[in-house]
Amino acid sequence: MVRHLRALIVGSGPAGLTGAIAIAEALGDGKDILIVDEGIEPGGQLPKQTHKFFGHEGFYASVRGFEIGNLLVKKVKSLRVEILQQTTVTGIYEDVITLYDRANNIVHECTSDYILIATGATEKFLTFKNNTLPGVYGAGAVQTLMNQYKVLPGQSFLIVGAGNIGLIVAYQLVQAGAVVKAIVEASSRIGGYAVHANKIRRLGIPILLKHTILEAVGDNKVQGAVVAEVDERFRPIEGTEKEFIVDSICLAVGLQPNIELVAQTGAKIVYIPELGGFIPWRDENMRTSVRNVFVAGDLSGIEEATTAMIEGYIAGYNIAQDLTGTSQEEKISKMKEELSEFRKGPFSKKVREGLAKLNIRFPEGGYREELQNDSGPKGKLRAVIECPQPIPCNPCETSCPTGAINVGGNINGIPHIDYEKCIGCGICVTKCPGLAIFVIQEKSDHSIVGIPYELLPIPSKGDKVDLLDRNGKYVSDGEVDHVMLNNKGKTHVVFLKVPKGLEESIRSFRYAKKSEAFICRCEELTREEIERTIEMGITDYEELRRVLRIGMGPCGGKTCRSLALQILAEKTGRSISDIELGAYRPPTIPTPFEAIVKFNDGIESSSGGVKNE
Amino acid sequence: MRRLKEHPILSTNADSTEVFFYFEGRKICGTTNDTIASALIANGIDVFGFTEHNHPRGFFCAIGKCSACLVEVDGISNVRACITPIREGMNVKMQTGRGKPKW
Repeated sequence: MVRHLRALIVGSGPAGLTGAIAIAEALGDGKDILIVDEGIEPGGQLPKQTHKFFGHEGFYASVRGFEIGNLLVKKVKSLRVEILQQTTVTGIYEDVITLYDRANNIVHECTSDYILIATGATEKFLTFKNNTLPGVYGAGAVQTLMNQYKVLPGQSFLIVGAGNIGLIVAYQLVQAGAVVKAIVEASSRIGGYAVHANKIRRLGIPILLKHTILEAVGDNKVQGAVVAEVDERFRPIEGTEKEFIVDSICLAVGLQPNIELVAQTGAKIVYIPELGGFIPWRDENMRTSVRNVFVAGDLSGIEEATTAMIEGYIAGYNIAQDLTGTSQEEKISKMKEELSEFRKGPFSKKVREGLAKLNIRFPEGGYREELQNDSGPKGKLRAVIECPQPIPCNPCETSCPTGAINVGGNINGIPHIDYEKCIGCGICVTKCPGLAIFVIQEKSDHSIVGIPYELLPIPSKGDKVDLLDRNGKYVSDGEVDHVMLNNKGKTHVVFLKVPKGLEESIRSFRYAKKSEAFICRCEELTREEIERTIEMGITDYEELRRVLRIGMGPCGGKTCRSLALQILAEKTGRSISDIELGAYRPPTIPTPFEAIVKFNDGIESSSGGVKNE
Repeated sequence: MRRLKEHPILSTNADSTEVFFYFEGRKICGTTNDTIASALIANGIDVFGFTEHNHPRGFFCAIGKCSACLVEVDGISNVRACITPIREGMNVKMQTGRGKPKW
């Protein structure tokens, strides 16, 4: 039987879910509203997003993506909207829509008064040698694998593309315990937010601008990647090739809208590169050229999840308005205002230009661009914000308990701190989705730097660490003063004791992993320790042995004695032949007691050994 | 094993009930949360099949779009390993090229 729906929503990502919420809320219930989605879990790409979202509280700013997915799905279910997962819309015909339900291996048919298509986007592919080799993955695909399925496909990664996705995935790989060797980016600038790039840099991961990948190396799985510098026309410059030993390569080179279903409805498709290429034509209400077909989210233009949610609401309220004949204008205008506020910043320039080609105008500007130069009164425990670009985000402002932070009106504005009001509580540090806020204080004999921290292990008071600068470069030794744990939000604040004067430069730390040069394997003695002991006046091998136990391990000095004598000779300026060799004591190898006892008991072996006369 | 044992944000032990299936006749241990792709990769298997020109194929997009991960499941070709949950006793085979239709 052909099922008739009031609204069919294709895609259970952020745009589809908010679209369903809008329709069901306006209609009073979710009867005959169906969401179909190809994936296993509802939420589209939200379940794999472990980072906190930008934006404002009304659209879940500072909440992690997978938690936003759960909240939206819960809301949809409470409105009794049906969600069919593992179901693909395989065709939109003039008279019927076909759905293939994979779990039950059956094709259903339905018709619907309205269709909201929110099929999102697919990661773009890139041409280079061996690009289909297993181990070359979409960056989002690796995110799905590690964050949704908790499987890491490799240990060492190269990321291609320094847009937000490349930067975010690089960070999340480190959180999952992988090594990111580098991010290569063909253009001369980082496309993603500076705050994301800064997170990567202070982990010490290089971002190589004007570089591209030439080749994936390996037979059945990636074993390396060849990259090279490119000229201004993106052509590789000969002689600049370098190879990275990696087992995985992540491509983060952009997204393309999934237009095939919307095209099947007969909706007009237009080519607008600023919005991601071929996209459905649509009006400011998200209606396509086909009266009862709406679109929302990345399908209608590549942007991000917050605007996808808003577009979903706009499409949903318009569908509800058509279905009920009751005006939803108030809600629609409110959402349009939200979109307008979000899209005023510089990162929305492309979207504004693309939409202008559809005759949809969004204003720009009206946000604060000035950076705060003042980092507050020395000696006071206070926050410092390193958020240098206008991006649509304000949890610092809304979370501050004393009202000390403001973004100056429009959400894209650069935050400033009123140091009279800031009490250095660190709440903004735990809330900032960009991990761009720190706490500093100058004390009499040292300084304190509080750093947002979302990695493992969780440090403890007194831990000795390497203090790193904004590029992840070692600056000095330091120690953990204390840790402000945030078990709910999972962004902890680690307060470091740093040498005086370094509070403006220390922005990261790592557990010291010393690479040492060993002399004595058995007793794990380093050249440094031996040299230090000689400097203390121990200049004889026998004495050195008594002090350090060098040569007293299981090997009996077979490996280290000659090296130790050489060091003694070097350090004391004597010739090696002038140094007392020291005694050679038995047993020469570890000998079992049982074997010795047997001899003493007179049970001599019949073979081997020199007979004692 | 490439399964995450700990994570600063996510819980890693949400559901660890074991599910067994077969890949090329080899018994593979997955969990109830796994797709075919995640279970294979967790077990160190990166090559899911070969193209007609004998190039190895595996996981690429994770969302059922690219067709790089196609495998044969219980005799049916063109199953997308990345968005198909594993089932106890499922028989997964490498697919070569476009696979064979089953009538």
